[in-house]
Amino acid sequence: MIRIAAVGDVHVDKDVLGRYRPALDRLPEVADVLLVAGDLTRHGTVAEARCFATEFGGLGVPVIVVLGNHDHQSDQETEVARLLTDEGITVLEGSATVLELHGHRLGVAGAKGFGGGFAGACASNFGEREMKAFVETTEAIAERLGAALRGVECDALVALTHYAPVPDTLAGEPLEIYPFLGCYQLGRAIDSAPTALALHGHAHHGSERGRTPGGVPVRNVAHPVIKQAYNVYRLLSEEVDAGLVAASRTR
Amino acid sequence: MGDDMAPEHDEYLEAEIQRLLTEHGRVAEQGITVHRREQTLILGGEVETAERRDEICRQITSRYPDLEIACDIGIIRAQAPTDVEEIS
Repeated sequence: MIRIAAVGDVHVDKDVLGRYRPALDRLPEVADVLLVAGDLTRHGTVAEARCFATEFGGLGVPVIVVLGNHDHQSDQETEVARLLTDEGITVLEGSATVLELHGHRLGVAGAKGFGGGFAGACASNFGEREMKAFVETTEAIAERLGAALRGVECDALVALTHYAPVPDTLAGEPLEIYPFLGCYQLGRAIDSAPTALALHGHAHHGSERGRTPGGVPVRNVAHPVIKQAYNVYRLLSEEVDAGLVAASRTR
Repeated sequence: MGDDMAPEHDEYLEAEIQRLLTEHGRVAEQGITVHRREQTLILGGEVETAERRDEICRQITSRYPDLEIACDIGIIRAQAPTDVEEIS
């Protein structure tokens, strides 16, 4: 069994210090790892990243993050990622990491992602240079995420993004802004590998649960959506497996 | 952002305030909803701290002093979870 805690869009600055800590101090009792789905900071400054590391670091379990659009606002994303790495936090961007937990290998591949929209209402690589650059950015990030997912050898594979890979978890947001909240290319990347769970943030007014066209469960863990310090998901649960085996035997 | 003239139509006002709340360095919030009901501007959504909520109202009042504001912005709870979801 692997227990994954997850949250996104915590937007840490000095005024948030201490808010999450009582719940985070109890996290190792209920989870083996914490994944944070981007928008760690308000403006993406190194000072705010230091606040994030203070609040979310030193938990006694590994912390894995992707950056979000807020973390790019000050054009210091490289410095932000370096500080977080120096503080022992794993930052993924078109890359993956594997953790040994309770005899199982948990693989996590992550990328910020980007907008672009979904089937029936998506942007195309056509027209003005700026429009083509937008869609090329979407595709390049999704391709790197797909390659990272397919390159991991593990027992349970999780995809971590900031932008949404499906429209299901955007329900509640205005339809007009869906193309700024996610893109189908991320979903296709997730479906190109044996992904067990996809986690994202970014959509503050969205909803919690969805599924890719390939059947991968998707969870929007943006803090305003889950309305608590983090959610906990259990993978490779022996209890569930034993229950399924028992159920199949009685059929 | 646009010029400092008060917009003559509600839709322009709502758009300007939406951008103000995202682009102003002391706010940087993308999840705040802005609706005009008669003469009152109704703000919705949730933020991380009471200081951020108060700053949103302060910035709008500072830019549009004649505007009446109803603030329904909440503070997101940050308590530990009490349940676990099985993914299978």
